[in-house]
Order: sequence, then C-alpha cells, then structure tokens
Amino acid sequence: MKISINWIKEFVNLDGIEPEEIVKRFNLATAEIEGVEYKGKDTYNVVFGKIIEVQNHPESNKLHILKVDVKSEVLQIVCGAPNVRANMVTCVAKVGGAVCGHKIGAAKLAGIDSFGMCCSAKELDIGEDDEGIMDITENVPLGEDIKNVFNIDDVVFEIDNKTLTNRPDLWGHYGMAREIAVIFGRKLKDIKKVSLTDFDLLPKLDVKVESKNCYRYSAIAIDNVTVKKSPMNMAIRLYYAGMRDINLLADVTNYIMLELGQPMHAFDHEIVKGIKVVDAKKGDKLLTLEGEEHELSENTLVIADNKGVPVAIGGIKGGMKASISEQTTNVLVESATFDSVSVRKASRTIGLSTDASARYEKSLDPELVPVATARFIEILKSIDKGIKVSSKFTDVYTKKYALPKIKITADFISSRIGENISESEIIKVLAGLGFDVTKNGKNIEVVVPSFRATKDVSMEEDLVEEIARIYGYDNITPKPLAFEPKPTFLNTAIGEEYEVKKYLAEKYNGVEIHSYIWNYQDFNASHFIDSKSYIKLMDSSNAGQSGIRSELAPTLLKVISENRNTLSEMRVFEIGRVATGIDENNLAIEKKKLAVVFASQTKDTYTLFDTLKEFIVSYAKTNLALDIVLKEGDKPSYMHPYNTFRVTSREGDYGYIGILNPKVSKSIDKRLNIVVLEIDFGLMSSKHGYFKKVKVPYKYQSTNLDVSVLVPENMNYGALEQILNKYRSKIMVGYVLKDIYQSEALQGKKSITVSYELSGKDHTLEGSEIDEFLSGLISHIEKNKLEIRKN
Amino acid sequence: MKQKIENLLKQFETKKEAAKTIADAEAIRLEFMGKKGYINELMAEFRNVAPENKKEMGMLINSLKTSIETGLGELIQAKKDEELENQLKNDKRIDYTLPVNQTIGALHPRTILQKQIIDAFVSMGFTIEDGNEIETEYNNFDSVNVPESHPARDMQDTFWLDNGEVLKTQTSAAQNRILKTHGPICRVLFPGRCFRNEELDATHENTFFQIEGVVVDKNVSVSNLIYFMKEMLKGVFKKDVNVRLRPGFFPFTEPSFELDTTCPLCGGKGCSACSHTGWIELCPCGMIHPNVLKEAGIDSKEYNGFAFGLGFDRLVMIKTGLDDIRRLNGGNVKLLSQFGTKI
Repeated sequence: MKISINWIKEFVNLDGIEPEEIVKRFNLATAEIEGVEYKGKDTYNVVFGKIIEVQNHPESNKLHILKVDVKSEVLQIVCGAPNVRANMVTCVAKVGGAVCGHKIGAAKLAGIDSFGMCCSAKELDIGEDDEGIMDITENVPLGEDIKNVFNIDDVVFEIDNKTLTNRPDLWGHYGMAREIAVIFGRKLKDIKKVSLTDFDLLPKLDVKVESKNCYRYSAIAIDNVTVKKSPMNMAIRLYYAGMRDINLLADVTNYIMLELGQPMHAFDHEIVKGIKVVDAKKGDKLLTLEGEEHELSENTLVIADNKGVPVAIGGIKGGMKASISEQTTNVLVESATFDSVSVRKASRTIGLSTDASARYEKSLDPELVPVATARFIEILKSIDKGIKVSSKFTDVYTKKYALPKIKITADFISSRIGENISESEIIKVLAGLGFDVTKNGKNIEVVVPSFRATKDVSMEEDLVEEIARIYGYDNITPKPLAFEPKPTFLNTAIGEEYEVKKYLAEKYNGVEIHSYIWNYQDFNASHFIDSKSYIKLMDSSNAGQSGIRSELAPTLLKVISENRNTLSEMRVFEIGRVATGIDENNLAIEKKKLAVVFASQTKDTYTLFDTLKEFIVSYAKTNLALDIVLKEGDKPSYMHPYNTFRVTSREGDYGYIGILNPKVSKSIDKRLNIVVLEIDFGLMSSKHGYFKKVKVPYKYQSTNLDVSVLVPENMNYGALEQILNKYRSKIMVGYVLKDIYQSEALQGKKSITVSYELSGKDHTLEGSEIDEFLSGLISHIEKNKLEIRKN
Repeated sequence: MKQKIENLLKQFETKKEAAKTIADAEAIRLEFMGKKGYINELMAEFRNVAPENKKEMGMLINSLKTSIETGLGELIQAKKDEELENQLKNDKRIDYTLPVNQTIGALHPRTILQKQIIDAFVSMGFTIEDGNEIETEYNNFDSVNVPESHPARDMQDTFWLDNGEVLKTQTSAAQNRILKTHGPICRVLFPGRCFRNEELDATHENTFFQIEGVVVDKNVSVSNLIYFMKEMLKGVFKKDVNVRLRPGFFPFTEPSFELDTTCPLCGGKGCSACSHTGWIELCPCGMIHPNVLKEAGIDSKEYNGFAFGLGFDRLVMIKTGLDDIRRLNGGNVKLLSQFGTKI
C-alpha cells in the first residue's frame, strides 16, 4: 500500500519531522515500509503555458512547431504530441528546468529550434496518461510554476501489505495518520465531514439485507452530479497512492477508500432503484466494470437491485450494468461491511482480488460505514457544489461487534515488557491510539475502539503489544532469564540421525539427498516399482503428485535415474518420512526411514552388496551396540527375490537389504548395478544393545589353528557356524572365518577355513592338548555329515 | 722398540686416513690387531725386553693398543655412517606433492547447519525434540490458536490429506505436544520439515525446513526475549550480532515480532544478500499466546514464555550461496556432493 505524506499531513502536523525519521520509527513500531519515493524532487522550472499557435513541421508529419505563452514570454517549442491544439493550456518545462531528472535545454528538432518541452502526465510522473501532453481544463495562472498549484512534491511510502494483515484500521491514510501521531506524540485532527442527520427527513431508500455475511449495508442517494472529471490534485493523490483517475464519482469512492480504508461504490440511481444483499445462487453471473464475466459460486455475496438482478459482487467488484456513465447524474452510494472470510473465499474462488476485497478480508470496522458516507458527501460537495442529497442515510446494521473491556495494571505491563512503564505513559499511549481509558485505583480500565475490535485487540497481551511498540522495542534493555540448572539431553533420534549420516558420508562416500514426500507414481510405474500410497492429497496441483510415499527407496532410485548420465558411480542416502498406512483412528502411520542406494557401472552387485552390508552391520555395532543378523524374509517386489534379506537384530526387524531386481535396474540404466537398503530408522535408533562383558585375556601365549571344512557349495556360512558353535572346549578362546575357497577340483563343494584361537588359562598349551581339541572337532564335524579338507 | 711403537702409531694413523670402506677398516684391524698383526708381533718382541725397561715398554704398548682400538672403533662407525648416508641418499624419493584420494561423501547442507544450530542450543540448556510431518488438524491449527477462519487453513495454502490430516504447515504443529510433555518450565528446540501448498519458484518451495524453539518459565518478559535472541544468534553465527524487533503478526504469539539481525555477510554495511539494508529478516518470534499455553494445560497466569522460528532454509542459502531454494530439495548429486561434511 502506498501512503502519501501530504495526505497524512492533512491529519497530523509533521513539522520538523523528516521522512527518514518517520520510516525508521514506523518500521519499528507499526509495519514495514519497503520503499520511499520522493515525488517531484527532480522536477523544477515547469510552468503553465498556453499554446497560441500550432504550425506543421516542414520535415516531419508527427512534429509541430508551437508558440507557447508562458506570460513572461512566448516560447517556440517543437512538440511530438498528437493532441496539440491552439488555446490548449499545458505544462511547459522551460530551458534550464528538469522533468523527473531530465534536464531541459535549448535544442534543434529536425532542424527547428525548440526552447522547452510540453509535458505529459506520465512524463511528470503525476498520472498514467502518456497519450499526449497535459490538457488542463482547470483555471490556472499562465507562467506560474505548476508546483504552486499542483501538489507534486510529496513523499510516498510503500508499505508491505503482509505486515498489515491484522490491522484493518491501517488500510487508509487516516489510520496511518493516527499511528504516526502517536509515535511522534502529535495530535490527530478530526475528519471534516457533513452531518448525516441533516438528511433524516428525506425519504428512505429500499435496502434489504438477506445474507448473514453482510454485517451492515448503507445507501444514500445523491442527485445532480454534473462535474465529470476530478480536479488535478485529486488525480495526483490517487495516482501517488497507486490508483488512476476514472471519473469524479469513481474517484471520490476510491479517495474515501484510500483515506479511511472503507471501500465504497456508486451505482447509477436510474438503473439501481433499491438494494437487496443476498447470497449468490448457482448459475448467477456478473459482467464486471472491465467487461469480464464471472460465474458466481454459492456463498458469494451479491448486491442486487430491488428486482433481484445482480449489480455487484459484494466487497469485490461492481458490475457493468449499473456503473457510472457519462450521462449519470443521480447516484446511489454504497458504504457497507461484509464478512471477511466470505469475501476472501469468494475472491479466491472467482479469482478476482481487488483493493476493496483486500480491505474487507481484514475484518473492517462497521462503524466506519457512516463516517465514509459523510466524508464522501463532504468531498464531493467541495468539488461539485451543485449536488443534492435526495435520500435519508439508509442503514441496515445487523452485526455489531462488542467493544472488549480490558483491565490492566502498570505492574502487569511493566513485568511483561521488562521495563518500568508508568501509569501515565500507558494511559497516554492507549488514549493516543484511540482506546477509551479510565483509571480506577491501581487498575487501568480500557475499552477497545471499534476500529481495533473486529479481531485485533481483545486481551491484556494485546495491550502489552500496543504499549511496547509505541514505547519502542529498541528502548527495551535486554535482560537475561533467570538461570535454571537442569541437565539437557539430545534427543537420541535426532542425534543418531546425524551420526548415521556422518558415518555414511565419511566412511562410505554417501551423498545425502533431501527429496519430496510425494509418491512418484509415474516414475514407479514406468520402472516396475510397485510402491503404494495410502494417503492422498486433496489438492495436488502444486505438488504434481497425488499421494504420500510409503517407502523411501523409490525416491532415491529416481535420483539415481536423474543422475545416471552425469555419474557412473553413485552412493546416495536419505533419512525421510513415509506413511505406511492408516491406523484405526484414521491417522497416518508415519515412519522415519533410512534408505541407502549404491549404484555402479564398474563394481558388481555382490561387491556393492558386501559394502552396503558392512555399512549397516558396522554402524549398528559402533553406534547402537546392535548385532545385525541378515535373515530370509519379506521383500518388496522390486527387489531381487533371492538376494534380498531382512536386517534384524535380537531387538527387532528393521527393514531389508539386497540387490535391486534386475528388471528394475535395467529399466533405470542397463549399465548400472544397484543395491538398496531401507530400514525403519526411527525404530532402529530407539534400540540399544549391550556391550558384552569383557574377558581378561589369558597371559599364556595362544595358538592359532586353521581348520578347513568341505561343505556343499550352496550351504551358507551361517549353517556351518551353527554346527561349529555346538563344539565346545575349555582351551578354545574363539574362532573367526579366514577364507572361503571354491574350485572345480572340489567337485560341487567349497572349502571354508576357520581359524581357532586356543589358549590355556594357567599354562602354555601342550601339543597333546591341541591334538585332543582337533580330533574332537574333526569327529564333531564328521558327525554332522561334513568332512575336513586335507591339504 | 720405542721407535717401532711410535712408527706403528704413525703407520696406523696414515692407514686410517686412507681407509675408504668398512672393508678397508677391517683390513687395518687384521693388520694391526689380528693374530699375526703388528701388536702380537710387538708382544713377542716384548718378551725380550730388558726387565728394567719392561714397565715403560709395557705402558707404551698398551697405550698404542688402546689408541688403535679406539681409532678403529671410530673409523668403523664413521664408515658405517657414511654407508648409511649413501644408502639414504639413493633411496627412492617420495613425491610429496602428489594429491591424495580425498573422496568423501557429503552431508546435505541443511544437516550440517542444523547440527551447528542444535549444538548452540544444547549449550544453552535446550532439549531437542523431533516431530511428525503428517499432523492432525488440531495440532497444526486449533492447538496453536489458528482460528477456523484463518486463511492458512484454506485448501490453497495447506496440503490437506484425504484422511483429514495435513502436511504440517509450520513447526508450531509440535508445540502442543511438546508443551504438554516438557512444560510448564522448559526450553525446547524442534527442527522440522514443513509444507505449503504453493507454486514453486526460486524463493518459494512447497517443502522447506524450519527450526522452532520455546521457552516457558515464570515472569518472562519481552526484554528476556530480546536478550535471549541476541545470545542465541551469537551462538548460531559464532559472532556478535545486532538485532532489532519489529511488530509482526502470528496467531501463536502475542505480541508477535519480526526479528531482524545485522546481515552476517556484510556485517550491516549492506549487500545483495540483505537487499542493501544491512538487516536480514530471520526470526519470527513472540510471547506465546495465552490460548496456546491453556490448550497445553499450562496456567497462563502463572507461566508465560516465548517462541521463535528460524528461517532455516534462508540461512542455508546464505551460508551456501545457493540462490534457488529448489536446489535444496533437488537430487543433483554432483551439486550436493560438493558440500562435504562441513560448511
């Protein structure tokens, strides 16, 4: 929103206060000023001049040679504007002057001397019009500097609308003036306006309100409006505030909206005889002023005439049918309050957002309705003296807000702000902001003014804010909180997330990905990935996907697919949320998953698998003291049916690890070998195994004994381990896998070599003890139908 | 004989000087000290020395022996050192300028920065909490004082789900649960991923990260909040920063503030990161709304506090120099792999 300082000055004396100071204080106390424009600063020596002669240029079709009377002299000016004519009064920048920073000098245009420039409104930056030079119909003194007649010098603030969302009272200059007055301790002037009671004896208008979303609707009839065009100063003001002049009646409604924040609308009274405010019916349509047709949804407020024909969309836009035309002399002027939510929803549904709807969305004060009308008549009358009010101010007021009464004390305010703030200071600030304040002993009783009561201020804390911001946040001395010695613990889930990510990045060259939570149906389908989505988005237009993912690995496979042309080797991982279903209360079952994908053009899947397995086993052991055991079990259909395994420990089953089904990996990229791990990381990180009790090593030298066992090729090491674990001996410290050897010479078998560590508790082992151990082991192995490999 | 001893010593010194290798030294040793060496020869002659001269000659021979032994020892050590030196000189030299394999993976920049921020908060006595991404309407809106009519609840702003829940629109969705678990006296930080139903562009994402914190205690004031925020940002940026509060408006807090901090890049002089204002808007905050406390079962007359959010993705973009927020959620491995594990 744009705020003109000249306009503000009508209501507050700002003598001695620089605009920069206003920006600084306003930013800290009220709302954000995003930009400042110094209007007219670089324009000077521009005067009113009258074209007394127009000659065609000998060399050009477009250019004319003008003789312009600027009182002190007659200037010859070459001008390219199409609208030049004799006796026209316009703005002339003299030689030595400047127009918005462009210095004017004597020049030759197509061979003819030119001493000055006739300006368009756009060139002077006082209006939109750039079709031709200014055509002034007002009575202005020739030769006079235009700045002495037109209010061109101004400072305009651009205020960030987002910072005004909760302040309906600041959507007009008067509300802004009130803030600035309080901030600088100046007095706010009253608004000059007519008294509506003067019209009480005139006939009533036919106004009916049939929608609960209309809180107040008023109309008044004004006849004999004959002036069509707004005076230049009003046009400039509208332009500086971001609007353009249209015709006098529309301009005055806009002027009131910009001044008081109350949108208004003027209907042609010959067309609209009475008003009925209703909710739109299905199929209702309205052609707007701009000539666009809008289909109205139910719950949209419609202003209809008394025959029920829609003439405006309530709070949003007027219709073409009853709009002000060249012929209009009698008008019906609306000033009304509509429900904020209803206007917002309608504006969104229709896709039409206007200066009026932006204000109604903020919950306007219904008490503004008569003020706006009274001010409207005041302003209109000052321009068009012949107007005649022809009806009573007809007002249907259905929803009145209660004015909250709040009790505070200076102690309460001081303790909440953390500064000592006196009673008198509190009262001064609140009264300045328009609150009704009464002292009652230690209590300060505050009644909220109607323009702050629609949603903004209702309780003690709201008053804390009012006082603190005017007191000045920058005047508050920072004070430490009392120290409370209390141990804090890093949430293990969050801490472990970092640990596992670091482990993957540092030890396994993993690159962390942050992907979206969506289930990529199309990608999955085209790559044979069958992954469900249990929860759908109600509106998926911005997400581009319809549902929430239930697994994390498919997202990483998509990443692999997207990067396959730039990288031949990829290790990616993510910790992310998925929804694996819906519980009995219809709530999402959300899991925090860890997925890791290794893809390589050079390493085979078995090598990749071993590395990935090493990661999860070593991580779980190092960080969580969990002993990971892979088991046969469930796996997604997009994984290898035989080379995918459950990742488990005694404490739980966490997920799977395995080779991607070749069907899937081929469809992603023929060259890539891909392995995948996906585990429930929330579950795993909540578990904690226990480190085994340590054994004090024997002090006598131990002996290593290698034993090779021949087993069938398809037998797992784990199966042999189970057999070996059943053989016990006092001198056995333990054994480790040393080697697995496969060869055709072994005829369908493989040789597994384990290395035993043997040691005596209280003596060095004798050869006979070792022999005894070995022969016992051999017979144990043979009992289990396996044989020892002899070299 | 005396003359002979003197000559032998001279002879030894000369040979010692001439010796080039350990083998030369060994030859000298044999020549003088060996079985048939000069010393033994001398010893044989010694037997014939007149008894009155024996003492003198004995001492002279012993002294010669000692001189030769010491001399030989020195000679051999010197030759060994020489040989070692020669060997080291000829050792293959290391090209210490060769690059080493530094392949490491990379953490997401958000992870790195989040860790730094968490560390700062833990040092300030905060407990860290985790939250869900799918939240109930109650947790996301009602419990944190977002009224039924608030625009944020519209379909156009929030990802509503078909089971009636939402993808959480702000980390405050976890406030109610956290205040119930940790309150009334608590300091909790909760990072989280949030979602808005928006169109994507360089500065708007539908998926982004926030970090939120709450402090609840007795008699907490705006001045406490300012003090805290200043100290906290010092911890985050690891240097002194200035802060300023401006009025803000959020349903969760009353009063609400926008907190600006001096731009960490230019130190307040003005640069492109701060649109030449010297300030960046980083931290919406405010005194927790009494309704939020009440909803969490905390007596808002006895306890109060403040809450703050960190525009975390903005911070990540400032730190990494990324100018398009979509890069953070994009899976460009080549880009992401450059972050390493520290920023």
